[in-house]
Amino acid sequence: MRMQCLDTKFFTSTSLVPMQLPSRMETHLWYVKPNEVKSEQLLNKYLEFLPKSEKEHVFSMRGDELRKGALLARALVRTTIARYQINQVSPRSLKFRKNIHGKPEVDWQQIEDWHPQQLHFNISHTESLVACGVTTHNPIGIDIEEKERKIKHSISSFAKRYFSQQEVQLLSSISDPEIQRQEFIKLWTLKEAYVKALGRGFSGSPFKTFTIRSAAASKESIHLSESSSFENSDIVVESLEDSTNHTGDWQFALLELAGSHYAAICSRKDCANIGSHPMKIGVWRTIPLVEDEYVSGTNSVIAVGGLM
Amino acid sequence: MATFTASSLSFTSLSISLDQNKGLARGSVSLPAKAKSFGALTLRSAPMRFRVSCAAKPETVEKVCEIVKKQLALPATTEVSGDSKFAALGADSLDTVEIVMGLEEEFGISVEEESAQTIATVQDAADLIEKLCEKKE
Repeated sequence: MRMQCLDTKFFTSTSLVPMQLPSRMETHLWYVKPNEVKSEQLLNKYLEFLPKSEKEHVFSMRGDELRKGALLARALVRTTIARYQINQVSPRSLKFRKNIHGKPEVDWQQIEDWHPQQLHFNISHTESLVACGVTTHNPIGIDIEEKERKIKHSISSFAKRYFSQQEVQLLSSISDPEIQRQEFIKLWTLKEAYVKALGRGFSGSPFKTFTIRSAAASKESIHLSESSSFENSDIVVESLEDSTNHTGDWQFALLELAGSHYAAICSRKDCANIGSHPMKIGVWRTIPLVEDEYVSGTNSVIAVGGLM
Repeated sequence: MATFTASSLSFTSLSISLDQNKGLARGSVSLPAKAKSFGALTLRSAPMRFRVSCAAKPETVEKVCEIVKKQLALPATTEVSGDSKFAALGADSLDTVEIVMGLEEEFGISVEEESAQTIATVQDAADLIEKLCEKKE
């Protein structure tokens, strides 16, 4: 029987396996499952990566589970970005700032000797999964939601309040309440991912002002086929406001992650991507400093839409 | 097989000089950033707060706490007050928009996205509600 010893000397920043940056057409997605991180020693190691302000934020969370989630989110972001640096970099040395709308980004200028990279990232977390998406040259937004998530309001009233008219119509055309709920959650994550990719904040791109739908569904046809509305089709966004919104610039992917979550990814199409190829995504399940597992092509990553 | 369990996350082995029981930003002087009118400055007997324009009644704050607790399914014993941050209580973006919706229904108001984005604490929500209620009258 093999004893698994997680010795302290394993937990150094050199335990991060270096990674090559994704190409312009690729997206990398890293995720951690909090219930896979049990070692208090390891959690303390992650805590050491955080500056005072981030530590304060972690401890401002109410309760152990929320603190752990907040800690893992910061640890995931820092260790993920550190992996892509050409020279050995400690996750501790990364500095972050927010753009004028509040979207977090890396502050490259604060680190001497670094070359500013065209690295973009975005994180999302739920109680049971924390994820970080990485792209180069093009902004990215991601949103994760538990597949079983239930909302307190009725889907219909929620959609009427926040979604576009077409989206309301589509959802109300679904008679099975469970399928309706699933489609609602998928649509929510896609809309969130889009707004986060745009980086203008919730009020910069109000949910009512754009529609996300499958390319296969036309404006006129509001009826769903037997299968899910996003399956086997490109996912597109339409602006209901003004035509200068360049909605054609954005591409989407919807995945089922780890059997338990929907993950929506939105990124700007690369200018070199003339043929409008679907997003190429590499997914890793990780326990930073301990193990990384490439899970694309396994049951942990199932394409739901936008990836034909 | 060795198992590691952290039954309570207390980070005791790490020395940081933070009082974990102290929430952030307690007793802050709170002035709405976009206050356009400075009406009668009312020095309330409630400690630590100076409100320049509309001050949220305790009943409003209480109602917001109720709605938040319900949305987040918090145990009745959870301490929620004006200072409480939604995010710190575990609200994600979907919870937050549901809370806003709940407040709109409860108080018969309509909250713009721009305003919704600025709500971080129970007090923020209560102040906004009062402001919008006043506008209605």
